[in-house]
Amino acid sequence: MKFLSSIGSFASALFRRSRFEHDMDEELRAHLRDRARDLERSGLSRAEAERCARLDFGGYQKFKEECRESLGTHFVDTLVQDVRYALRTLRKSPGFTLVAVLTLALGIGANTAIFSLVDTALLHPLPFKNPSRLVMIGEGMPADGYPKIGISPEDFTVYEREQKSFESVGAFDDKYVGLSGGGQPERILAARVSASIFPMLGIQPLLGRTFTPQEDKLGKNVVILSYALWQRRYGASRRVIGKTVVLDRIPYTVIGVMPKRFQFPLRGPRTIVVSGNNEPANVWVPVAFTPEELQCNACYNSSALGRLNAGVTISQAQTEASLLARRIERQYPASVLQAFNNAQLYIWISPLDAEDVGSVRTMLLVLMAAVGMVLLIACSNVATLLLSRASARRREITIRSALGASPGRLARQVLTESIVLALGGGAIGILVARFGTAVLISLAPSNIPLPPDVPLGGSALLFAAAACCLTAIIFGIVPAIQSSAISPQFALQEGGRSGTPGRTRNRLQACFVVAEFALAFVLLIGAGLLLRSFFNRLMTNQGFRPDHVLTMEVPLPALAYPKATAIRGFYEQLAQRASNLPGVRSLGITTVLPLTNDNLTVMKVEGRPGYTPVIRDTWVLGNYFEAMGIPLLNGRYFTPQDRAGSQPVVVISEGTAKKYWPAGDAIGKRLYIYGTPDTATVVGIVGSVSGSQFVTATTPEVYVPYLQVPNVMLEDKRDASARSLALAVRTSTDPQAVALALVAQIHSLDSQLAVGKIRTMGQLVGSSVAGPRFNAFLFGLFACVALFLAALGIYGVLAYATVQRTHEIGIRMALGAQGTEVLRLVLGQGARLALFGLAIGLLIAVGLTRLMASLLFGVGSMDPLTFAVVAIVLVGIGMLACYIPARRATRVDPVSAMRCE
Amino acid sequence: MPERAQILPGTLDLLILKAVSLGPLYGYGILLRIEQISRGALLIEQGALYPALFRLVRQGLLKAHWGTSENNRRTKFYELTSAGRKRLRQEEEGWNRLVAAIASALKAQPEQT
Repeated sequence: MKFLSSIGSFASALFRRSRFEHDMDEELRAHLRDRARDLERSGLSRAEAERCARLDFGGYQKFKEECRESLGTHFVDTLVQDVRYALRTLRKSPGFTLVAVLTLALGIGANTAIFSLVDTALLHPLPFKNPSRLVMIGEGMPADGYPKIGISPEDFTVYEREQKSFESVGAFDDKYVGLSGGGQPERILAARVSASIFPMLGIQPLLGRTFTPQEDKLGKNVVILSYALWQRRYGASRRVIGKTVVLDRIPYTVIGVMPKRFQFPLRGPRTIVVSGNNEPANVWVPVAFTPEELQCNACYNSSALGRLNAGVTISQAQTEASLLARRIERQYPASVLQAFNNAQLYIWISPLDAEDVGSVRTMLLVLMAAVGMVLLIACSNVATLLLSRASARRREITIRSALGASPGRLARQVLTESIVLALGGGAIGILVARFGTAVLISLAPSNIPLPPDVPLGGSALLFAAAACCLTAIIFGIVPAIQSSAISPQFALQEGGRSGTPGRTRNRLQACFVVAEFALAFVLLIGAGLLLRSFFNRLMTNQGFRPDHVLTMEVPLPALAYPKATAIRGFYEQLAQRASNLPGVRSLGITTVLPLTNDNLTVMKVEGRPGYTPVIRDTWVLGNYFEAMGIPLLNGRYFTPQDRAGSQPVVVISEGTAKKYWPAGDAIGKRLYIYGTPDTATVVGIVGSVSGSQFVTATTPEVYVPYLQVPNVMLEDKRDASARSLALAVRTSTDPQAVALALVAQIHSLDSQLAVGKIRTMGQLVGSSVAGPRFNAFLFGLFACVALFLAALGIYGVLAYATVQRTHEIGIRMALGAQGTEVLRLVLGQGARLALFGLAIGLLIAVGLTRLMASLLFGVGSMDPLTFAVVAIVLVGIGMLACYIPARRATRVDPVSAMRCE
Repeated sequence: MPERAQILPGTLDLLILKAVSLGPLYGYGILLRIEQISRGALLIEQGALYPALFRLVRQGLLKAHWGTSENNRRTKFYELTSAGRKRLRQEEEGWNRLVAAIASALKAQPEQT
């Protein structure tokens, strides 16, 4: 409202202004007319009379201006006047204006773009009712190396019953299911949620209703559709309620459709799920834990959400949870406790909005800092430009001040000019930001958790406006103070002799250049470190050969394949048949593809007490190692003879062998994997393979032949991983070309089977380094802009200083100075600035790079190589920028330089 | 034509106030009135009249209103406010004092010792 009224007063001032102009004109013209009439009466001709009247009157425009002034100046009038004046002077030097506006546009635009990402990703409150009272609940065994994992269904039930801190708690998890009936079967993500979840989040369905506690308890087959799935597969029909859809061959009744923007579990930077799936759920079904799940103490595969009771703090809830953890632990069978090396069970509670944005938060904040530095550099660049200009305009300002402009008035005029520049920069900057966010999102590969659309919303525009004002003040204040501080007397004197330049102004410019170099150095160091991390990741031997490998997921639904024989039979048959397809060189089937996921367990090594820390357990079938290109180092791969009934065998990775049999005698040794019926013999050692982002490369691996996996594990209703296998195919031609034939082969075995995630290993590797690539690219871009601006800054300052020193250089040369000496003089001046900037930058960089340590890989935050290279590059570019004005200085003709006086 | 004197800075305001005190006038009329009452002895740069008028209005010494002139044109008339009248009196006194002081100073004879 205040804003509106100030617009109103602005408008009425403008109106009054035009009214005043009109009246004044009328009055003055009446004077001329009357005067001419009188003169005509005295005998002059009409034309003569009019001429005399004007002559007698004097400077018509001058007096009009004096009239305006004598009326007193309204704030708005001054503003309009200042803006008009600023526009006029800026138009007179288009080169300066263009450089300044574009520099600012770049800075403001880049900042707005990154800010809108940060805003969308981190600053918006979660889209739920009163989200600050929502917390995540999970378990952990900190002493055994698991500080934070999910919660087991059995423990959740106990906790839900015993806790007093929460209004309600609910469990959830998600899994891929086959959706069939009414079209091509497809793999979709289904979230299983407690009935309490929807009311807890405070979200109403778009159509129908959510689950009743009864449905959850009894495990009724009811389903709620996501808006996207409803639109895509069910034509947005309202009659979908009550219809039947088939999930993993089981019919479910549709009871509701959720609204468009609803997402749970949340995806993107605020992922809150243990499974690691990063796709929005397409359907929701009741969590309805099965009896098998409820009997599994150590299945920490679910997540839990709670809404705190009014007045209960997180730390109070945490205290209660720790007590309950003791009680729950006491009910664990001894064998389970033993598998965790008797580590203490812990229940953690953390606020939902702080959960799991960790690495993305760091990344975005680091980018924000980087882009902020770019803006600072842009500002100081424009400030040096303004200072140079102020010098050139010193006479103008002096005359204005001599004619009676007050220092405040002069400062205001200069500041107005800065604001006009900043607004111009901001306007173009918003265009840059619009374009920039689109580019950012298209550059960010799909597995980087960024929201799919980042609109340039109100807060981003507000940010841009604030950035404009702030930049105008930052770069405008010093020149404004400078120009207001000019004393006419002194300035006119100084202006009379162009010999000695204003020392303060030059020193100020030097300060700005030093600051630019310092900031550019910090940015370049950041970019260098990220770039090295990226290449380190890229060059890391992942342990397999990713070229020409196609993968796809072929999970079997429990209802259609309840028995181990059917599951085993299907995969064995698929492996045999698909191996003979044209273009297939070798084919294997596995429970876990490299870089995607891990099945973690523990084992006992013969001759060592107790269970080992966590290991990665992979079950494979067919020629998996050949297909994936995992080299055999010792012993043998699995053969078709390693099947049920024959001697249990395992293949281990080099890392496992070195860790548990450091003497190099692993072949023939025996180990026992938790939950299996027998000890197995090591028959081969293969190269180590990188796992998912959640494990370190050194986590030991053990491979088990799929055909030896006991029936109970394949039929395990709690855990579908034993029948959710993925195909890995090494092809002799383009892997994509073989995909169609493979899917056809699968459908010839079971036409209703949904195949998921058809990808080449190349794509998998690409997406595993996508995050570092994105970081390195953006940071590199910012650093290049910074470098360019800093070079421009030092060039501008030196070019200007050289022009100012033309006289001095002329004298030096007249006295016999050689070109090289002059060159050294100017270059030395530049080098001093660059090196000084470098030294300050070094101090800042040492302080700041530590903050981005979590984004680095294989390189220290104080990597000497990076620091050295960056320093050389920066000084080199700086010297190059100085060279041009320096060369120009050597060409100064002493005679003409001195005649300039 | 009688010899004309350039008016002293700051005295234009006084002349305007005096001219307007004799009855409301429009711009050109004020000029004529000043020429008339000074018997054409003062040289005024005609345009300078207007900034002075605007200034006096702003200081509240004059007030302006739009009316119709004898030849039926829309014309801006000025008249004295009470503040203006008061100021005129002060200025007149001040001026007379100044004139008297200067005059007596100019009459001074070399002192005889």
